[in-house]
Amino acid sequence: MSEPATNYMGGHRFLILPVILMLGACAGNGEGLDANGDPITVGPPANSDFEEIQATIFTPICSQCHIGAGAPQGMRLDAANSYAMIVNVASNEVPGLMRVNPGNPDASYLVQKIEGTAAVGVRMPANGPPYLPQDRIDLVRRWIAAGAPAPAAVTNKLTVASTIPAPAEVAPVGLTRLTVIFAGDVDATLASADTFGLRDGLDEPVPLAKVSVPLGRPNVVELTLARPLPPGSYQLEVRGEGPVALADNAGHVLDGDADGSAGGNYLMSFDVRAGESR
Amino acid sequence: MIARLLRLAGLALLLGCASQANAEPYLAAQMGLKCVQCHVNPTGGGMRTVFGNTFAQTQLAAKRIGAEEDIWTGQVMKFFSVGGNARADYTYVDIPHQEQTNEFEMEEARAYLDFGVIPNRLSVYLDQRFAPGNSTNMEANVRYWVKENAVYVKAGRMYLPFGYRFEDDSAFVREVSGINMQTPDEGAEIGFEHGNWSTQLAVTNGSGGAPEDDKGKQFTSRVEFVQSVWRAGASVLFNDADAGSRSGAGLFGAFRAGPVTLLGEVDYVDDDSIGVDGRKLMATLAEADWKVRQGHNLKLTFEWLEPNRDVDEDEQTRTSLLYEWSPIQFIQLRGGVRLYDGIPQNDNQNRTQAFVQLHGFF
Repeated sequence: MSEPATNYMGGHRFLILPVILMLGACAGNGEGLDANGDPITVGPPANSDFEEIQATIFTPICSQCHIGAGAPQGMRLDAANSYAMIVNVASNEVPGLMRVNPGNPDASYLVQKIEGTAAVGVRMPANGPPYLPQDRIDLVRRWIAAGAPAPAAVTNKLTVASTIPAPAEVAPVGLTRLTVIFAGDVDATLASADTFGLRDGLDEPVPLAKVSVPLGRPNVVELTLARPLPPGSYQLEVRGEGPVALADNAGHVLDGDADGSAGGNYLMSFDVRAGESR
Repeated sequence: MIARLLRLAGLALLLGCASQANAEPYLAAQMGLKCVQCHVNPTGGGMRTVFGNTFAQTQLAAKRIGAEEDIWTGQVMKFFSVGGNARADYTYVDIPHQEQTNEFEMEEARAYLDFGVIPNRLSVYLDQRFAPGNSTNMEANVRYWVKENAVYVKAGRMYLPFGYRFEDDSAFVREVSGINMQTPDEGAEIGFEHGNWSTQLAVTNGSGGAPEDDKGKQFTSRVEFVQSVWRAGASVLFNDADAGSRSGAGLFGAFRAGPVTLLGEVDYVDDDSIGVDGRKLMATLAEADWKVRQGHNLKLTFEWLEPNRDVDEDEQTRTSLLYEWSPIQFIQLRGGVRLYDGIPQNDNQNRTQAFVQLHGFF
C-alpha cells in the first residue's frame, strides 16, 4: 500500500546509502595510462590525420557506444574497425550518403552527424552536449577532403579497405577510373596490370590504360581504363597470389580473401547502367 | 465512464497491485507497480496506458488544472490510442581547459500510436521520433497477448529488455549494456506477467538496428520480482556475432522507505568483439529519489564505470543531483547538475554539466 501523503519528510536519512557508495567508489588516478585510459605503450605517435581522429575522437568519445557486437547502426569505431566501417560505406540512416565520401566532406554523413545537420537522428555524440569542438570537426573535414587516406599499416598483412565504386554498386555509364583503398601503404612497384585485373560479364579482360599510386596517397591505387565502361557487369580482381602478388612496403602480401592470413585474391563486382548518377 | 476510470485508477493505487508505472523506474518502485501498469509496452517506456495517463494527472502533478471531467486517457477512439514526449533542454558545460559552452536544444519529440485492433489482445504499435532531424521510426511492432494480461509475443523493431529502462540513455549502465532507447533492434520477444513476476526474452539480430550482417543472433532476457516496497531482478544478454561474441549479466533492484525510493543496478559485460583480447566492462548505478511532496522529486544519482577490467586506475564516476517539478499535469520541469570524474589526463571525463529541461508528455 502506498505511503500516506503526509509522510513526505523525514526519509532523507535513506539518502545516506548513495552517499556511502560515492565514498566507496571513486575515479581512477590515471597512473600509467594515456588520455584514452589505455596503458601507455612505446610506439610511434599519431602521424596522420586519421590516427589523430582515432586517438582524439573515435576512441575516447564515439567508441563509448560504437563498439563491439551490436554497436549502434552496426558501426564499430574502435581502432581495429573504424576505417573499414566508414570509408565508402553507405550510411544506414541515409543510404544515399556514404559515411565518409573521400574528397567530399559535405557529402559525408559522418560530418553531417557531428555537425548536427544530418537529416535523420540526433547530433553525435548522442549524449552531447558537449559536442565536438570545432577544431576536431575541422580535422575530420580536412582528412576527408584529402581523400580519407588510411592510417599507416601496423598489421602484418595488407588488406583492401574499400573501393570506388563500392562492391555491388551501380555506377553510371562513362566510368573511366576505379580506385582501390588499402589499409596500409602499397608497394608501388607491384601496382600493375599483373596485380590488378578487370573483367566484364563475359569474363573478357577489360584493358587498363594505367595502374598507379597517386602522389601523397600511398595506400591508394587508381586504375585508369582505356575507354569508358559500357553498361554491364564487371569484376575487379586484386591478386594476392600467383606469379606476382601485391604487397605493402614491408613485404606483407595482400590478404585478398580476408581469411586473416596473407594470400588470396580480392574479388569485387559492380554494375554499370545508363541513367545512374553518383 | 471517466469517473469509473478514475475510481479504478485510484483503487489500483491504494492496493499497490499489479503492474508498473511511469517513464522513470523510480515511479514504479515508489508505487510498487510493474512497468505494464503505466505503459502499453510491458518492458516500460513509450506510450502510456489509460492508468498511466490518469496517474500523470491525478498523482504525479502537484496540481491538476482544467475541468474535472476532462481526463486525457490517450484513447482518441475505441481502437486507437496516441501519446507523445517532447524534451527541450538548456545545457551548460564546463570542460577543464576549454571555454565553457551553453546552448538550447530540442532533445527529442516523439509520437506513439497504438492500434488496438483486438482490444487487450492484439496491437500494432509505432514509436516515431520527429525531432531532431527528419522523422525516424524507433519502434514498430505487433504485440499479441496470447493470454490476456499474462503472456504476450511481440515481433518487429523494439527496445530490448535488460535492466531498468532509465530515461537517461547516457547512464553508464545503459552505455555498458548498449541497450537503451536510442538503439532499437529487430526480432521477437515473448513475455510473461504472472502475479509478482515480470519476465521477458527477446531474440534479435544483434546488429544495433542495422541490417543483419551475420548468422548469429542476440538473446536478451530480464526477470523481475515486484513487491509493494521492494523489487529485485536480473538480466542476461548474449550476442553471437561474427565480430566476436558479447555476453553480459546484470542485477537490479529497488526499495521504498517512506518518501524515499532507492534503486540500484550493476551490469557486467564480457565483449570479445573489442580489440584483440576482448574487453570486460562493468557499471553500477545507485539512485535515491525523495518525494518531497506531490509533484516534487529530488534525485541523487551516483554511477561508477569500469571501462576495462584489465586496466587499473581507469575508472570513471558520475554524480547527479536533479530536481523534478511537475506543476500541472503533463508538464515536468527538470534541472540539475552532473559532475563527471575520470582520469586527470582526459578533460572530457572531468566535466561539469548543468541543465534545465522542459518535458511535456501525454
